[in-house]
Amino acid sequence: MTMPAIETFGLAKNYGTTRALVGLDLQVNEGEIVGCLGPNGAGKTTLIRLLLGLLIPSHGRAEIFGMDSQRDTVAAHRRLAYVPGEANLWPTLSVAETLRLLGRVYGKVDLTYQAELIDRFSLDVTKRVRALSKGNRQKLILVAALMTRADVLILDEPTSGLDPLMEQAFRLCVHEAKDRGQSVLLSSHILSEVEALCDRIAILRAGVLVEMGTMVEMRHLSALTVEVTFSGDVPDVTNVAGVSSVIVQGSTLRCQVRGPVEPLLNSLANSGVRELLSREPSLEELFLSHYGAPADDVANDSNK
Amino acid sequence: MTAISNLSRSGALPGRSTRAVIARVTTEKSVRAGAVWGIVFGLYIATQSLTYATSYKTVASRRLLVQQFGHNAGISALVGPANQIGTVPGFTAWKCLTVLAIIGAVWAILTGTKLTRGEEDAGRWELLLVGQVTRTSAARQALLGLAVGATSLFVVTSIITVAVGSSPKVAISAGAAVFFALAVVSSALMFLAVGAFCGQLSTSRRQAASLGSVILGASYALRMVADSSAGLAWLRWATPLGWVEELQPLTRPRPFALVPIVAFVIVFALGTLYLAGRRDLGAGTLSDRSNVLTIRRLPTTPLGLAAYLSRPVLLAWAASVFAYGLLLGGIAKSGGKIITSSPSLRLAFARLGVSGADAYLSVALLIMAVVLSFVALGQVSAARKEESSGQLENLLVRPFSRAAWLVERIVLAVTALVLGGLLAGVATWVGAISDHASVRFSSLLSAGLNVTFPALLLFGVGVLVLGVAPRMVSVITYSLFVWFFLIEILGSVANMNHWILDLSAFHQMAASPATPIAWTANAVMVAVALVSASFGVELFRHRDLLGE
Repeated sequence: MTMPAIETFGLAKNYGTTRALVGLDLQVNEGEIVGCLGPNGAGKTTLIRLLLGLLIPSHGRAEIFGMDSQRDTVAAHRRLAYVPGEANLWPTLSVAETLRLLGRVYGKVDLTYQAELIDRFSLDVTKRVRALSKGNRQKLILVAALMTRADVLILDEPTSGLDPLMEQAFRLCVHEAKDRGQSVLLSSHILSEVEALCDRIAILRAGVLVEMGTMVEMRHLSALTVEVTFSGDVPDVTNVAGVSSVIVQGSTLRCQVRGPVEPLLNSLANSGVRELLSREPSLEELFLSHYGAPADDVANDSNK
Repeated sequence: MTAISNLSRSGALPGRSTRAVIARVTTEKSVRAGAVWGIVFGLYIATQSLTYATSYKTVASRRLLVQQFGHNAGISALVGPANQIGTVPGFTAWKCLTVLAIIGAVWAILTGTKLTRGEEDAGRWELLLVGQVTRTSAARQALLGLAVGATSLFVVTSIITVAVGSSPKVAISAGAAVFFALAVVSSALMFLAVGAFCGQLSTSRRQAASLGSVILGASYALRMVADSSAGLAWLRWATPLGWVEELQPLTRPRPFALVPIVAFVIVFALGTLYLAGRRDLGAGTLSDRSNVLTIRRLPTTPLGLAAYLSRPVLLAWAASVFAYGLLLGGIAKSGGKIITSSPSLRLAFARLGVSGADAYLSVALLIMAVVLSFVALGQVSAARKEESSGQLENLLVRPFSRAAWLVERIVLAVTALVLGGLLAGVATWVGAISDHASVRFSSLLSAGLNVTFPALLLFGVGVLVLGVAPRMVSVITYSLFVWFFLIEILGSVANMNHWILDLSAFHQMAASPATPIAWTANAVMVAVALVSASFGVELFRHRDLLGE
């Protein structure tokens, strides 16, 4: 059995009385891309900074290829590369100097790939960092991370400030990384990006991991949207098992079905169904469904 | 509840105007800093006047002082002409005016650029400028805030000067004391305007501060030339520091010299407002020629990077230390005579078995200890800034440990401090032999090394604070420095308990080359610095990395 690229064990972080991360158990396997979703303040960046050893956990621990992120920080960092959402670089250095410095500190760089990345992201290496736009700084920090070919890429909103063309270039790089067997932990607010790139998705809420799985698994656990048009009167389905969010407009009924769809079909058997459409939830709907309920519910659940 | 009161304090609650936020914030910060420096200025004035009144009690001793310094061109070039130094007011003006005018100007450049360009660079103005505040209005508000800060500096300095002037020993009238405080503070007022103006010209706060320093340096150099010969005295009217001198407070007050000072402030303030409305936010009026690079030596290691980033500041300090060493050394013989002319000082040094140039140089090198302490404080602040800005993360997310980063920073700072001390010794020796003073190279070299120890102690404690309370680094280390400094200067006037005096690193440092270097005290300072720094590194390894 291969060792997970990233693994956390009851990882928790408190800031005074605020619980930023609550007992998180997470695994990212070798060659896997895991997306991390959650609204602002859900604990995504705290998780990433704990993995990097920039924050000290209040409880639990995190490992990179079995190396403790606190005790074996330097060894763990030899196998990872990180892209922050905001690039705070040295304004007086040029792009070339920055890449050379960061490459030297990392210890190894694939120079051919570096040249390819510079070309792919249209980066002007002669400019000073202070003359770069936000998007160009982000491209620089992306190239600095990708050029190392590190075994694990930890990306915290890596495409913030990038234009759609550059975002496509980024997606291509992540796919290439996966093909080479690299692992990726991607935190993002761009749901289409996560849906397109990730093998599994972790949804955080108020510091708690509320959902973890593949898109297929998550859709299975989530509600199906059903829309039925009748030739006659619309029957009452509000008491049917698994049915919720019932809306009737003229002869059309729209509802959500959680679990088996059979009870609903049985109740509609003699109602003159003219048309029946069903649709699996998108990632956006899945995401929103996790944040529709009051935040206290999950926090209370997690405290039990 | 806390959140609501915080909002209320920052003026963000509905109903309270947000248009004057920049004025309020700038005022709050500059008033606080102005008041602190007002206390330092006031205490310096009090110390100098009281020391003179105590040390030169007889007419004979004062006459001797006038004979030696009344027409000394070297000393005149350094600290201004010695007018009426046979009186307490005349001596106080001579000892305090130029020194405090320069300190005030340095403070003003740092504050003037920090509270204008620094705030803009940090992105704090951008949120306001997309609202109801225009760029010109933002600059106007900042200027207003700075003016209030200068006023607080003036008020606090005046209060202390009037208080000390009321002492029968000093006997300076309230009106003369207030005019003197005005003269002292006028330099700060002018250079606050210079700082704000440079903030509009430059592309960053650092560049603005450098530009302001160049203007101050040119002003000081011109004043030195003007004061070096009676025939060149007219040149004083060509430099801001010369105008301050032309006010001649406490001797022959000339309020009309306030005219060019006020005009200078108005021109630079109007220039600031003019440029503020005519440039892009984040850009400078001067074109940034250096945005595109050709080839240069690249930093390829974290230590190389730290050295590269610190290089401009450290080179500027080195140049200052060297120039000041030359100047101090260049008047070693005359300085020795001042010791001889004061019966109390002569007695104090005679007890130690020294006299003349050696005695003077030991006092002069104390200034170098203060300069090197500033270098130490700057290095601690630079380390903290690298962390708070998020730049450090770029290194620490790679295979480079926190301990290695901080130890490299320590190595850089210690190297800079030791080299700075040796440079101070060499420059002072070069200056002294050019004045035909009989001083040995080896004794001045070791005296130069001697002045690094208080700076090393301050740096070590700074590293400890960085490890345990990073957000308090500047407050705690600068407070410690002020504590050391105040004890040292007040201790020479008041008969302080030796337990209190022993708490100042400057007091622990031997007055070398007049007295043998106190290696035991120096070893204790190094030991405290080492232990503090070691704890600092260990604590830094085990804490969260923190932003601002």
